[in-house]
Formats: sequence, structure tokens, C-alpha cells
Amino acid sequence: MRGWLLALTIVVVTAVLIAAGTLWPIQTAIAMASPRSTSNSSSPQGAAQALLQEIRRRNWNAAYAALANKSEFPETDFIRDLTGSYTSLRSYASLEGFDLSPLRSSADEAKFRANLNWSSVVGTFQDVRELRVVKEGDRWQVVWPINREPKIPPQVIPVNYLRWDVIYRGAEDDWGAQDVESPHVRIVAMHPVDRGGGTIILGELLNEDVVPAFVTVKATLLAKDGSAIATEDSFENISHVLLPKQVTPFRIDFQKARLSQVDNVRIEPSSTLVAASADPVIGIESQKLNPLPTTSLSGQLVNQSGQVVNITHILGTFYDNRGQIIWVSDGYADRALLPQTPVAFSLPYPADLADKINNYRVVTSTFSVGRFQ
Amino acid sequence: MPRAETGALRPIPTAFIFLAAFAIHAPLLLIKLPLKSYDTNFHIFFASHYVHHWFEPWNPKWYAGFSQTTYPPLAQQWLALVSCLTGLDMAYMVVQLVAILLLTFGVYRFARLWVDPRAASLAALASVFLGAESFLVYSAGQLSTTFAAPLYLNAMPYLYQWARRGGWRSFVKGATLAVAAAAAHHATLIFGSLLFALPVLALSALDREGNERESTSAFVVRAASAMLFVGVAIGVVLLPFWIALLKYPVTQVPIPHASRASYILSPEWGINYFVVPYGAVILALPFILLRGSSTPRLRPLLLGFWLAFLLGLGGTTPVGRVLLGRAFEVITMERFTYWATLLALPFVGLLAKELIDRFHTRAIVGLTLAAVASCAVAVAWSSYRPADASDLKIDSVAAWLNRDGHDRYRYITLGFGNKIARLAVLTDASSVDGEWNSGRMLPELTEHGAGSLTSSKFFGKSGLDALTAILHHADRYGLKWVFVRDPYYEPLMVFAGWRRVDNLEDRTIYVWSKDDVPPATPLNAPQMPPHWQGLMWGILPIGSSILAMLLLLIPDERTRYQPEAEPETVRQPAAAEDLVLGRTLL
Repeated sequence: MRGWLLALTIVVVTAVLIAAGTLWPIQTAIAMASPRSTSNSSSPQGAAQALLQEIRRRNWNAAYAALANKSEFPETDFIRDLTGSYTSLRSYASLEGFDLSPLRSSADEAKFRANLNWSSVVGTFQDVRELRVVKEGDRWQVVWPINREPKIPPQVIPVNYLRWDVIYRGAEDDWGAQDVESPHVRIVAMHPVDRGGGTIILGELLNEDVVPAFVTVKATLLAKDGSAIATEDSFENISHVLLPKQVTPFRIDFQKARLSQVDNVRIEPSSTLVAASADPVIGIESQKLNPLPTTSLSGQLVNQSGQVVNITHILGTFYDNRGQIIWVSDGYADRALLPQTPVAFSLPYPADLADKINNYRVVTSTFSVGRFQ
Repeated sequence: MPRAETGALRPIPTAFIFLAAFAIHAPLLLIKLPLKSYDTNFHIFFASHYVHHWFEPWNPKWYAGFSQTTYPPLAQQWLALVSCLTGLDMAYMVVQLVAILLLTFGVYRFARLWVDPRAASLAALASVFLGAESFLVYSAGQLSTTFAAPLYLNAMPYLYQWARRGGWRSFVKGATLAVAAAAAHHATLIFGSLLFALPVLALSALDREGNERESTSAFVVRAASAMLFVGVAIGVVLLPFWIALLKYPVTQVPIPHASRASYILSPEWGINYFVVPYGAVILALPFILLRGSSTPRLRPLLLGFWLAFLLGLGGTTPVGRVLLGRAFEVITMERFTYWATLLALPFVGLLAKELIDRFHTRAIVGLTLAAVASCAVAVAWSSYRPADASDLKIDSVAAWLNRDGHDRYRYITLGFGNKIARLAVLTDASSVDGEWNSGRMLPELTEHGAGSLTSSKFFGKSGLDALTAILHHADRYGLKWVFVRDPYYEPLMVFAGWRRVDNLEDRTIYVWSKDDVPPATPLNAPQMPPHWQGLMWGILPIGSSILAMLLLLIPDERTRYQPEAEPETVRQPAAAEDLVLGRTLL
């Protein structure tokens, strides 16, 4: 083979391979590519995709620069819209994926519904935005539907809620080495259900004591021969801090154990004395059950204290007409709870239970930066 | 005096090349620069296990227990041996320095197959400044890769000699060196060895002359017997590795790695994985192409380089995905770039020689500047793009774990980056996290396509799902302690029922605990190697390297070992050569 022919072949094949890898990149390459290199703003869908890709990479400068209506608000408002003005679930979330559904389009304007799937440290949540895309010259740009969080006027909110402090023996003591009796807690309801090929233990736990308790519930499924099939605990499906006389629902999922295999369930609640406060109090208002097709319990959370609650965990207990627990659902508020400012929430429940639900109850637990409850 | 008699036209003495390598790299290693790299602490962690349990490859400190037979041990075992004199950190530097010195010798010997002694010596000198070498040593911390490649390069001339003319000395030396190299790194064995060996076999076929040409069958038999013998020897020496690989293949969900990106669509990774490792070799690419294609004897080397070059481009082309299949999603691709640069060095030496012949001092100055710049950028890259940006001190964490029976439970860290290997060296406690993804077996970790738990958030939903899954099963693994350095994870800890129990390092690290977790118990894992595998693992790999060193003491068959053809003897027409050089210089 002549040398120049070999050289030419190598150059051409390399160029073709690089071109192929660039024009039709493999999945790994797409996942790591910058949005500008994989999408373009010469089409309305491309412009919307490029914007959401920039948001996905938290490249706020580029995302803001691509907006058609950036003169209407500063970049800080845009960032706050996406990440929250105060530390919240959104601050801990990243855009995991999105899908765009076209609603309508014309020669110089198009509209899309964007389902944004956010991944946070405590799970995923969805955000739906309607994006208007307009043609500016030969380029398409997104008109961002800005949401501004309300600003709270200066005010004084008196706080006189109960608080329990605990004096430990000494700093060298490990947690759990306290020589005080554990608070008395009791399972007041327990109901195993077979669902989705697995077993779910639903129940409620009462703090019978006069001191707060840090609680968790562990369940072991036992077979007919008494052997343990599996052991799981309530993890986040419980309110771990229980004030005196407070009740929390709990749910324990066994994804790989059929109820038909289970002869007995051993429930082990545990409790530890902890310091706790009744503050902040979260009011739950405007609760209602939403019918099919999106069966959910929705309402509003109102922070009745004077401090910002950064993340709120919501637990919903659903009862049938005999008062038996038939479902426990949980979710998180994606925005911080500002004092006296309602924030909507929604707890989904299985559609087949819609006819059976007769009553429900919602409790919350909260996380505030620098203060854990 | 004719120029042919001046010192400028003689090969650079080996002692000078060694001295250059020592002068460049010894100071950088003495200040322990590699400790900032991605994988250095990983190798030190493996070595620390060999220090205490030479014949017990089951290491309980990561993943609640994993087998170190999943990673060829040679470099780490030497590290463990040297550490008896110097301590682990300095032992790492010593072993790495030996690998760098071996590389210069290996490059010289490998390049001598293709080019004349002077060009080969320039290639060896260039290896001291090679960007890819510095990148792997100081940024990536790939001790095993940089340890195995020189051994293969040193074995190649013996393979050439054996394939062409036979000779038991060449055979034995080449085979033992190849086995030792295999004992140092599995990826280099499976992929790199072919990239080195196939061009050399092709060259030995091309170089046959006279009676040799008539004995094609002898050539084929020798080449096949070498491959068969070396294959069997490697199979025996690394038997526990193969057993682990076959019984428990890496089937976990692939973990993303930037070396598989498209360097055009992601130019920032192009700089990291192409510009920095290649450095000034990029300028030599046209010469490599033109000279390699125009000189028949250099064509096998050119084709080997081209394949390694394409694979080293990661996701820039579909080649890696097509040729490597699933392995593309498992291994990282920067090592192909490293091998490509090694394969390019004979060309670089040739180019340097011709430039010096033509432009004398100006060429020397230019080449020196280019070499120093390549090396400097690659060394400095570990500071510009550090693997671990923070100056995190983990001594207090280790001390906390080692006191008051805390090490009866397992632990994980969140936000510690690649310091988890260093922590594992310092503490007696066991973790369910780790940095050797191919060795882990816990389903909570293998099912989600994320790397270390300590960096969960950087893997998005996959990482957080893995973290949640392992926290879910804290009781199962005796996981009682979580050291949180990144407040990002605090909401999860709070809502999942964990509580802060202590703080360290001026409240920058918080210790979280879960109640009622039973003490950790050893996992009765089927992956645990039996005792006989431990004995093999402790004897054969290190033994193969000692044997190789002893055999190298046997004098070479000097009368026979001289590659006869030299590519530059096939002179190009002057105009064509000018064209090549001219293009290069432009």
C-alpha cells in the first residue's frame, strides 16, 4: 500500500469517526455534553430544551442569558424561582430530567408544557411550567414564567410554645448511653397489606409519656415456622420526634415479601428521650380529597411560628369507615415555609382506595437549618 | 571534525536519561504531590492491607468486606514491602519513582525496535517529560497503570527476538516480564498488552530476511507458543483474580466517567483527557502520520498508535463503544491515551533527531521548551483541577472511630471525596462504602449506577438512591455512624431517623448515629477467597517480579539482539522529507 494512501485513509476514517461521534453521540457523551453543543435555538423546541439543559447543569448565567424576558426581572429572581429564596428542598435539588409537551405553535410563537423532574436528597418532586417561546430575529427564546416568593413584612410574632430540654451526664457520653428510662410509647394500630407484590405494614404509634421521645419502628415478618423473612424499619415514613401524647403514623415497606408467606409480624417500637419543642407549629388548612384521575389529598401548610421552616415532611394517614388505617402517604413541601405564608401540598394515594377512604389525618415534621427537630 | 563524530550525533547516555528522570520527578515525589491525586490513597489503602494481612486478600474495611483478588496486586505489594522501611506514603513515592525510571528504560528498548539508537534515546528522554505520564502520576494517581506499562515495554524486545529467531533467554525473560506486568494491572494486560505486542509481532514478521523468510511456520509456532505460555503463566499467577472475575463478573449498573465524554461536545474534558496528556505530542501528530505511513517498517506501530489514539478519544468517536462493548462502560479511557503516547514516542524520538540534525541549537531549544511545557502543564494540572479541592483532615475522624469501641460498628462518610481511602488506612473500623467499584458486591451499591457513597450527590438520583438504600439497611450491616461534612445531606439524616451525636474538626464534621443498630458482624460472603487463593495471591505475583529481576541478570544474547532494519535508513526522497518536516515545523 502506498504511504500517502494509508495516511489519507487514516485521516479520513478518523474524521468520519469523529464526525459520527459528534453528530450522533453515544449516550455517555450526550449526558456529559454542554447543552449548547447538543441543542440549538433555531427551533422553539430546541430553545426550550437548551434552556432546561442549562438549568439542569445549574448554569444560571447561561440560562438567564437565553431568556426573552430577562429585562423583566434580575438574574437573582430567576435563580430564586428555581432554587428558592430561602434554603428549601429546591436548594437541595437538581433537575434530573424533563419532558416537553407542545401545546400550540405559530410562525413566531410556541407554547410547551414542561414537566420538570427534580431529584433532591429526600426524593424526587415534579414541577410543571408552561413555557412560551417567541421568535427574536432568527432565534427562538423562552419567556420564563417567573414565580416570585412573597416577601414577609417586618413584624413581631410572640412564641410561647412548650419546650423540653434534656441535661446529659457529660459530653463524653455517647448517644444511647443515657441512664434514663426510655419514654413509654405504644403501637395503637397496625395493619399489614399486600400491595405491588410486596407487603406494607401500616400503623400508628402513640407517645404515652410526659416527655418527648425520638421514635422509630422496626418490623420483622415471620414465616409459619417462626423464621424471619425480612426486617425493615420505618425510615422516613414516620415522624421521629413525638411530643407527649402525640401520635404518628408509620409505614414499613417490604418490597420482596408476599403477605401470603407471612404468618406473623413482630413490631418493635423504640424510643429515646430527646430535647424537643412544640415550635414551630405548622397549621394544615383547606384539606380536601381530590378524585380520580389524580387521587391525592391536598391542602395548605401554614407556618404559625416566627422562624423559617426550611423543609417540611408531610405524613397523611387514611382511614376507612371503620376507622382502620388503609394507607399512609408522605411527601415534602418543595418550598420553605415562611411565617404565616401558606404553601400548597399534595399527598398521592392509590386510586383503588378512593372509594374506601372515609377520613384522613395529616401530621408534619420539620427541618430548619441549624436546628433539627 | 565531521558531525558524525561529534557528541551531538551519539545516543544520549542512559545514565543521563535516568538522571533527568530523577531530577524532574524525585523532587515532585519527595513533596508527595501524588497524594493529592484521585487514586493514590486507593493504592496505599490496598497496600496497607497487605502490610497486615499478606496472605489474606479478604479486606473487611470496605463494602463490609471485599476481595482484593479483584485487583492485581504487584505494585501494591511492592509498596507494602517498601513501606516496612519508609512508611506507606514514602513507599508509594519510591515505587512510583522506580516505575518512572523503568519507563525510560522500557521506552528506549521498545523504541530501539523501530528506530536507531539515537532516536530511541531521544524517545526515552521524551518519556521523562511525557504529559500523559505526569497526568497519570500526579493527577490520576494510577500507580498500577504506570507500573505495568514499563514492564510490557521492557518485555517487547524479548518478544521480538523470540518470535524472529528463537533463543531461550529471550523467551524466558520476555515471558517473566510480561507475567510480572500482568500481575501489576489487569486493564493493561487485557487491552494495553495487545496494543504493544501486536505491532511488535508484525514488525518481527516484516523484519524476517534470508532463511528466516522461508521458516514462516517456525515464526508462527514461536509467536503462538509465546502467547500460549505467557497466557497460561498469567492464568496461574492471577488465578484468584480470574476466579473472582468469572464467578462474580462486573454486572453492576455502569458509573459515568468523564473520560467517556465526547471531547468536542464537552471541550472541558477534551482539555483534561486530550490536550494535557498529549501536550506537545499533538504537534508531532502530522509527522507520526506521514512518517508512519510512508515507512513500511513503521506501519504496525502507526496502526497500533492509531487504535490507541481512537480509543483514548473516549466518546468522541463510536470506536470505544463498538470495540470494547460493555467494557467501555466499566473502564476509564485515559489509559488508552497513555498507551497511545507511549506508542508515539519512537516517532517523537525520530522527529527530534531529524529536527536536531537540521536545525541544531534552535531545535534543541524548541524541543526542550515543548517537553518542559508538556510536563509542567501536566504536573500543574493536579493543582488547577485538583482531585480533592479541600484540605480535609481526617485524623480526628479516625481517632474517633478507633476509641471507645466505636469500631464495633460500621461507618460511612458524606462529603469526604477521595479521602475515604486515607481514612480507611487510619481506622480499624469497617465501612460499607469504598472506592473500588468493581470489587463491591452489596446490592444497595451495585444496582444504582453511582460511585462512592461519600460523593452521592454528584451522581444525582442514582447516588442518592444508593445512599438511601444503604441507610435503609443500616441494621443489616451494623452501620451506626455517618460522618457528615456536607450539610446537603442533613435533611435526609434528620427525616430518616438519624441524630447528631458529636462534632469534629471545629464543627465542620458532624457524627450522626442511629439507635438500636447491632454491632457489625463479618459478612459470610461467597466472594471470600479460600485460604489457598490467599497463599497464591501472596506468593505468585510478587514472585513473578522477583523471578523476572533474577532472570534479567542473565546476559543477553548480544550477538543476536540487534534489530537490523532502521526506518530512517529507508530514506525518503529529499523533497518528500522536506515536505514532512516542513509541515511539521509549520
